[in-house]
Amino acid sequence: MGNWQRLVWNQRDALMAGIVVTVEVCAIAFAIAVLVGLLLCLVRMYVRPLRPIVIVVIEFFRATPILVQLLWVNYVWPALFGWPDSFFAAAWVALAVQSSGYLAETFRGAIEAIPKGQREAAYSVGMSPVLVFWRIVMPQAALSSAPSIVNQFTVIVKSSTLVSVITVPDLMFQSQKIVNIWYEPIEILTATAALYIVLIFLVSAAGKHISDVLRRRYAIAAT
Amino acid sequence: MSESLHQALDLSLFWEYRHVLLGGLAVNFYVFAAAAVLALGIGLGAALLRVNRLPVFRWLGTLHVEVFRNAPEYIMVVWVHFVLPLLLGYIIHSRLEFNPFVSSVIGLGFVYSGYFAETFRAGIEAIPIAHIEAGRSLGMPERLIFRRIVLPQVVRRMLPESVNQFISLFKATTIVSLIAVPDLMYDVTMITQQEMRPLPLYTGAALTYFAVILAASSVLRALSERWRARIYA
Repeated sequence: MGNWQRLVWNQRDALMAGIVVTVEVCAIAFAIAVLVGLLLCLVRMYVRPLRPIVIVVIEFFRATPILVQLLWVNYVWPALFGWPDSFFAAAWVALAVQSSGYLAETFRGAIEAIPKGQREAAYSVGMSPVLVFWRIVMPQAALSSAPSIVNQFTVIVKSSTLVSVITVPDLMFQSQKIVNIWYEPIEILTATAALYIVLIFLVSAAGKHISDVLRRRYAIAAT
Repeated sequence: MSESLHQALDLSLFWEYRHVLLGGLAVNFYVFAAAAVLALGIGLGAALLRVNRLPVFRWLGTLHVEVFRNAPEYIMVVWVHFVLPLLLGYIIHSRLEFNPFVSSVIGLGFVYSGYFAETFRAGIEAIPIAHIEAGRSLGMPERLIFRRIVLPQVVRRMLPESVNQFISLFKATTIVSLIAVPDLMYDVTMITQQEMRPLPLYTGAALTYFAVILAASSVLRALSERWRARIYA
């Protein structure tokens, strides 16, 4: 028990700082991923000339492993675009890039699942295309894709362990730093693994609860 | 910008090292194959626990699924590599060390066994109880019912879902480079440190994985759809 106190409890400040960084990276990445994913999806569906390019981009985002994406963004983007200018930015950019590809496809599935008759009905009462999307299509698509969106957030949290590789001081980084001070990995790595598992379990349980509540309130069939 | 773009897209350096890199990609496939076998085996076991009659077993199965589905692959691989040998060493009273390859297979295999368990369970629960009862009424032993009636249907039902999981597992094999398994990503990092030219190397690695995974996933998806269609026709 002495080891647990020395290696885990006494390091709680470092671990908490790590958790804060993890949460920050994940929250920023998630917000950006939802926005970029929606944008990619809309361009893919409604801007015909750009469609082939966007399809390639989405497939590229989806089919590259997150570690590869992370190192690629970290080492290649700054030379190519002069940005991201920090490891922290590279971390959330990489996480957001990958998730935006998945979310774009999720949104497309949800939008395409909405019966065509509803859109035609809206047009026939004289709503503009923007209004049809905003009032008829988007609310339903957002509801039916809510579980997948939350699921994507748990994927981001899982992938965020890798940002320690580019020295972003997240929970994984802090715990490895503690391992490298004492070379006693048992307690600290076990505690870190448990923290991540509990964190991700809570996120997915909360997500399940939220999407259940939304479903019940709006009584929309799950897709 | 144009200078660095040119550098990033000039893959001759990447091509120069093709032999090393192909060897690395082969290591990715070895890790993938071994971890997939382990994940399928443990996943099937956990799924059987979850549909067991005894609540204790069901509870154990649920615990397994919840722990491993919510565990990040990286921490699991690191844990298996650095902690598990020490713990096992205490038990057998001797020093134990895992080869990085073994650690990554165990780590990835266990994480993905959680996902496969859920897929297997969904497949098992989708089988009409009448099939099993029919088998019983013919006097088939439970094990034979499972092997001849339940499992073949489960495998077919879970194909499309498991294709996605195999693809994620293959993507996850890139993280084994972090515990020094010499896969493609490890080779790329090593060559980058020697050549100091990350642009073509990392771009090449990203494009290679993109090509391999895109090709594999389209082929697998088409195959699994065709097989399913043939079975249910």
